[in-house]
Amino acid sequence: MGEFFQLLVSGLATGSIYALAAVGFTLLWQASQTINFAQGEFVMLPAFFVLIGTQVLGLNLILGLLFALVVSLLLLGLVFKRLIIDPMLPHGVLPIVISTIALGILLRDSVKEFYSAEAQPFPAIFSERTLSVFGAVISLQDIAILITSLTTITVLQLFLTRTRTGRCMQATAQNRGVAEILGVNVNRMILYTFLINAGLALMASVLISPIYLAKFSNGESIGLIAFIAAIVGGFNQVRGALAGGLLIGVVDNMSAAYISAEYRTAFPLMLLIIIILVRPQGLFGTAEERSV
Amino acid sequence: MIELKNLIGGYGNMTVLNGVSFKIEPATITTIIGPNGAGKSTVFKAIFGLLKVQSGQVLLNGEDVTRSTPAQMLAKGVSYVPQGRNIIPQLSVYHNLEIGGITLKDQSTLSVRIEKVMDRFPILREKQNQQAIVLSGGQQKQLEIARALLLDPKLMLVDEPSIGLSPQLVRETFQSLTGLRDQGVTILMVEQNAKSALALSDFGVVLELGKVRMHEEASSLLNDPRVGQLFLGGAIDGK
Repeated sequence: MGEFFQLLVSGLATGSIYALAAVGFTLLWQASQTINFAQGEFVMLPAFFVLIGTQVLGLNLILGLLFALVVSLLLLGLVFKRLIIDPMLPHGVLPIVISTIALGILLRDSVKEFYSAEAQPFPAIFSERTLSVFGAVISLQDIAILITSLTTITVLQLFLTRTRTGRCMQATAQNRGVAEILGVNVNRMILYTFLINAGLALMASVLISPIYLAKFSNGESIGLIAFIAAIVGGFNQVRGALAGGLLIGVVDNMSAAYISAEYRTAFPLMLLIIIILVRPQGLFGTAEERSV
Repeated sequence: MIELKNLIGGYGNMTVLNGVSFKIEPATITTIIGPNGAGKSTVFKAIFGLLKVQSGQVLLNGEDVTRSTPAQMLAKGVSYVPQGRNIIPQLSVYHNLEIGGITLKDQSTLSVRIEKVMDRFPILREKQNQQAIVLSGGQQKQLEIARALLLDPKLMLVDEPSIGLSPQLVRETFQSLTGLRDQGVTILMVEQNAKSALALSDFGVVLELGKVRMHEEASSLLNDPRVGQLFLGGAIDGK
């Protein structure tokens, strides 16, 4: 029982990091039909921005995080939208898919080439002490990660539903043409979405890197899992992406412990196949109609 | 109120409007009729800044507003109710209205304005906290018109208001349009339901192949045999 509880908490913690990436994924899809196959690399990269800040520029951790935030918003938000998505968008979904796959490869290999091919230790943001609860050893870091991610997603959801700007973003995502004729600054709303995605990627990066170290290849698995989480939860819902992320985190942990560690990466994929067969719109998703 | 001068424009390289000119007087209802593909809806999109105008002018009270953005047109007192369903499905009815007022300079008047349009359309008040998607087709149209009224427009562009509505709701929608005209709002409307639309209009414009073929008082268009012929598939000159 203790072990189960332990696996559950650490699964939820990792899952909540996946959820951050998956939520960004779904936001981009809703706002601009962008399926970002570089999302994993978007999560891998900000850790290196922090390392550049602290190791190359000699900043302390707080300033290094701020530096990474600014660079992430600029490169992964603004430049990504202007340089890649805006020119590709009129040509449909497939060119965007291909360009983001290419971007992912570029980012991965650039880090490998210009920073390091070795995994880099990354400073832990939270205490690494553990706590004993009913015989289970719970890491405080896991709890802190879970709380941070869930708070972030809750605040984001409140922003989207309770503020006028958030509702304008929803309007843009749900019916862009109408948002435009009502005078909503549609391009700005889409830009906000890209900036939010960059912010979520930074947060996921900073939370996951102390556990898995910062490595150029981290994005491969994270990107895939975020993609699966978004589909499992429902591609067009923030709460779906959240549920999908948490579920995959737990399934991953439990299946590794109780079934087979060797097949650990296969279980999320099996879950994906089952969901696509049984409930293709995802656990929380709504079926989408699209006119051409 | 609004004047179009030799407006030429379309989608991409395809020209739909081949020099449209007409002038609309204030506080009147004008219905644009014409066969499919004549460019009726395209005229609205060109006025409202939703497509590329190649040449020509749109004058609003004498001011050149050609190629203004939708937000600029809204600020100048023009609102647009497009064809079909134009709600934001997962936002509440109230928040749909709220977004209709997003361009207001003085946001403090927004809630009063929303109350005012909900007085005019009581069903919207009743359903204000429900998602707009649950409204019936007629209620959705009411929501769209209410949303367009929020900014106290001087000119409303209304595209096919009757589409998909029951005869009763068509009557109600048309009644609210005449009510608005009587309050001084200028209405430019496109309508397939040409007879009933012309019956309540002051003027009618017949558009064919992206050009104005006739622009007369609605009553004389209604009685013009050529118009009937046009809608039976013939051309005005009987060619």
